[in-house]
Amino acid sequence: MSNIIIYSTPSCIYCKMAKEFFAKNNIAYKEFNVAEDEKAREEMVSKSHQLGVPVIDVDGEIFVGFDRAGLAKALKITS
Amino acid sequence: MYDLLIIGGGPGGVAAGIYAARKKIKAVLVTDTFGGQSLVSTDVQNWVGTKSVSGFDLGKMLEEHLRAQEDIEIVDSDVVVSVKDEAPPSRDASAGEGKFIVTTKNGKMLESKYLLIASGSRRRKLGVTGEHELDGKGVAYCSTCDAPLFKGKTVAVVGGGNSGLEAVGDLLPYAAKIYLLERGERPKGDPVTLERIQKSEKFSLLTNMQVREIFGDAFVKGLKYADTKSGEMKELAVEGVFVEIGAVPNSEFVKNLVALNKFGEIVVDHKTQRTSHPRIWAVGDVSDVRYKQNNISAGDAVKGILNIYEEIQK
Repeated sequence: MSNIIIYSTPSCIYCKMAKEFFAKNNIAYKEFNVAEDEKAREEMVSKSHQLGVPVIDVDGEIFVGFDRAGLAKALKITS
Repeated sequence: MYDLLIIGGGPGGVAAGIYAARKKIKAVLVTDTFGGQSLVSTDVQNWVGTKSVSGFDLGKMLEEHLRAQEDIEIVDSDVVVSVKDEAPPSRDASAGEGKFIVTTKNGKMLESKYLLIASGSRRRKLGVTGEHELDGKGVAYCSTCDAPLFKGKTVAVVGGGNSGLEAVGDLLPYAAKIYLLERGERPKGDPVTLERIQKSEKFSLLTNMQVREIFGDAFVKGLKYADTKSGEMKELAVEGVFVEIGAVPNSEFVKNLVALNKFGEIVVDHKTQRTSHPRIWAVGDVSDVRYKQNNISAGDAVKGILNIYEEIQK
């Protein structure tokens, strides 16, 4: 099983969409709220070299934004 | 082969889909997501019949309503990239013969006799040096999403329309200092919102300012702007630039098929929503409708479908 981390803010719609996508496909993930958690925010910036959310880390592969097709490929989800 | 292909999943596209299904038109709808541009709104208070709904939930409501229809096919998570008109060469175009071949990003090929375009619009970019290079590195286009990442930082919001003022509102709880850069004499957004944000000491309004460059290295360090009155170039040290300068219609994929105005909007007959092409209709923000509103897009889509239905009945 993949180790998935999502860095999000509470008001971010694309974060919500990404989480729904995980839920729909029964994929477990760890979430950090970077609006509150400064350590996680730094971690997110150092992983992605940018300041937009969501950032999704799939076993070290970094996705910026909700890239449905990219995530589906990385997680081997069909349809 | 479909009778109708609908492009878009905002209020216009969904209203078209529902009405097409109820008229038993053999239709397919292609969209990336549901909800249109309101998707990122925290609170929509003017969707008629609903006192308050988030953009995210509005998108869900639209999707559910559409999926409840029996007679519509839906291609989601996909985007139309090209439209080819295969009209028989030797005939009067107004006779309405021919078909379209529509290609999507995921490689689907769909054939349809008629087309209803509800592809909406997307955020306008400044088009200045550094904007693209620093996108995501301080340059931001979604204040509801990214405002919390600018905690304690100095930021600029470019554009004094409603979306610019709302971006300032989103940033107030987080940023240390917020400059609003407006090109004209005064911001065009709602006075009520402006009054509210002007109460904050963090807020500074700069008028007659035109952004010329965004600079930085790994992240944004500042921007250069021209004072449009004196012509003087100035610099402003900021770590974030939120660009809120309006929208561009998503009409590129049909630009060779229909008449566009100078803004790139598809010109329509406002009684029927029909374009200059006899088999293409357009509704909502992609069209040259004066007011860009969810409720108007939905209503215009209904007009378009009823007109297409008449056309099919002929």
